[in-house]
Amino acid sequence: MSEVVVRTTEVAKTYTRGKESIQALRGLDLEIKRGETVAIVGRSGSGKTTLLNLIAGLDKPTGGKIKVDETNLRDLSDSELTNFRLKNIGFIFQFYNLNPTLSAVENVEVPMSLARIPKSERHARAIELLTAVGLQARTSHMPDEMSGGEQQRVAVARALANSPPILLGDEPTGDLDSKSTKALMDLLRSLRKDGGMTMVFVTHDPLVVSRCDRAIALRDGKLVQELSRSEIEKARIGTMENEVLEGVY
Amino acid sequence: MNMAVRSLRRRKTRTILTVSGIVIGVAMILVLLSISAGASTQTNGLLRNALGAQITVVNGTIPTFPGGGGSGVTFTGGFPSGGNGGGGFATFFGTGSTLNESVVSTIDGISGVYATSPQLSTSGYVNGDAVLLYGIDPSTFASVTNGLDITSGTMFTSSSTNGMVLSNTLASNLGVSVGSSVTVGANSTGGSSYTVTGIYMAATTFGPETRSAYITLSDAQAISGETSGVTEIYVKANSPSIVSSVASLIDSEITGVRAETAATVGVATSLSGTLGTLFIVIGIVALIAGAFGVINTMMMSISERTREVGTLRAIGAQKREIMKIFMNEAFVIGVMGAVAGVVIGIVVSVALPSLTGSSVAGAAGRFAGAGPLSSLSTSITASNVLLSLGLGIIVGTIAGVYPAWRASRMDPVEALRHV
Repeated sequence: MSEVVVRTTEVAKTYTRGKESIQALRGLDLEIKRGETVAIVGRSGSGKTTLLNLIAGLDKPTGGKIKVDETNLRDLSDSELTNFRLKNIGFIFQFYNLNPTLSAVENVEVPMSLARIPKSERHARAIELLTAVGLQARTSHMPDEMSGGEQQRVAVARALANSPPILLGDEPTGDLDSKSTKALMDLLRSLRKDGGMTMVFVTHDPLVVSRCDRAIALRDGKLVQELSRSEIEKARIGTMENEVLEGVY
Repeated sequence: MNMAVRSLRRRKTRTILTVSGIVIGVAMILVLLSISAGASTQTNGLLRNALGAQITVVNGTIPTFPGGGGSGVTFTGGFPSGGNGGGGFATFFGTGSTLNESVVSTIDGISGVYATSPQLSTSGYVNGDAVLLYGIDPSTFASVTNGLDITSGTMFTSSSTNGMVLSNTLASNLGVSVGSSVTVGANSTGGSSYTVTGIYMAATTFGPETRSAYITLSDAQAISGETSGVTEIYVKANSPSIVSSVASLIDSEITGVRAETAATVGVATSLSGTLGTLFIVIGIVALIAGAFGVINTMMMSISERTREVGTLRAIGAQKREIMKIFMNEAFVIGVMGAVAGVVIGIVVSVALPSLTGSSVAGAAGRFAGAGPLSSLSTSITASNVLLSLGLGIIVGTIAGVYPAWRASRMDPVEALRHV
């Protein structure tokens, strides 16, 4: 459990929009261990999503290094990064981002189809995954026939399709009610227990933070505070005045 | 591909609008091609029926005359009117300048030949007057050449013996009319008795043509002594466009002959060719307009689906796979548009002649000679259907290239942020 999966060293990201340049991240050091569940919190514009995108290999840093296992993401070409995402990263989004023209099982098959897994094999695996997320009865439903919680569970099944070692979520519960949020977090914890998967979530939701092993708070592109699981629990009981919960509420 | 169809089905209205651009272009191309094909069939028929012989085959030793007719018509010298001046003709149409009748069947056997009609041009005397005598086969003469403009009486038939048709000038000079009996021979004195069956209007008002008479080929051969001899063989090709190639085939396959083509053929052929080219250009312009419609709606569709593209990129779709998704959609749009366009094109092409027949005929009737072209005639050919179908699919697919490329170049981070 102590092996480092994600290591960022002095990572920086500057966007240029017209004449303006925005420093989204200003030299951030972070280590995430295998099997850990980490919440990234912070106010809007603190650089949370930028950090998540860099870990995902969706974006490249303008400074510093990001290593996932032994791969330095800065060294990869666009096509290699895409391949890296396909094999190593599972993604869940706030608005699920399912393809509305595909059924639940077909949505789950998309990443496997991109990974060139034969049709029969990927169908069986998709059914297996939907069963694991409790949707065995809704495999042929279309996204618009399902509730938000169900759609997000389809998205989880899709994210797990190629058995990635890392699962990333950008506000994964942002569009869910508290009951669905609890159900989703319980599901993710159970999945983590099975596979030793590393999970990183950008979130505002205290329910999500409370179920993570660690929470890190960003402000103005810098890591300003880190809370362990026991500290998170203490903070919940305590005065809630620290940076993490400032970011949460 | 399945995904492409579903994605298009989901946005039915947009898809129908996108596809309709291609439909209109393809339908237009097919209709124009059908009209063009119909017009060329019509012109071919018209040329075959109205413009006379397209090729005149003569003995190869006859020198080429300016005007290229190759028949006795080109003889413009003084015409002997007396009883002792006929020698010039006899020399001119002497043994050396005739062809054997058997050449006719050889020409009939050449591919592309529609019909033939032999003629023996010679000189003779009618009631003692020197005339140009044409021996013809009445069963083929009118259909291969223009025929004669018979103003009274009829053309003699091949079975009737000693029938004759005279030019109006000759008839009035001789003071004869339909039913009159005349004496025809090789000399100014003597000969056999012929019956005038008809009088025709000479094409010219002066020159030898005004003093000519038509009798059967065998009668002319008997009078001239040219047994089995003919001086001209008139030939019609299957279509005006192949006239020159048929002429060169005759030249190369039969020794001792020369095939001469009529100047009108080239003009008519190039006219219908120009029309066809013009139509294809119009059709292609319509299709290109349709292609811009496809580009436009696909660009809109892609901007609406920015997040879908971002998601696919995030979960590991390569740029080329994004490209493929949208190219597939463009291909499906092209196929749907092309198939629907061909169906509509066929329906319109079939309906067009009857639609224009009544409405256009009235206006066209005012123009003399516009008759045969007054209604549109269309002809749907398999190759034109395949051409329109192929063009529709190709143009639709090509129109998808740029939008698909744009989609594949989207920055996934930006695309995911897009609401």
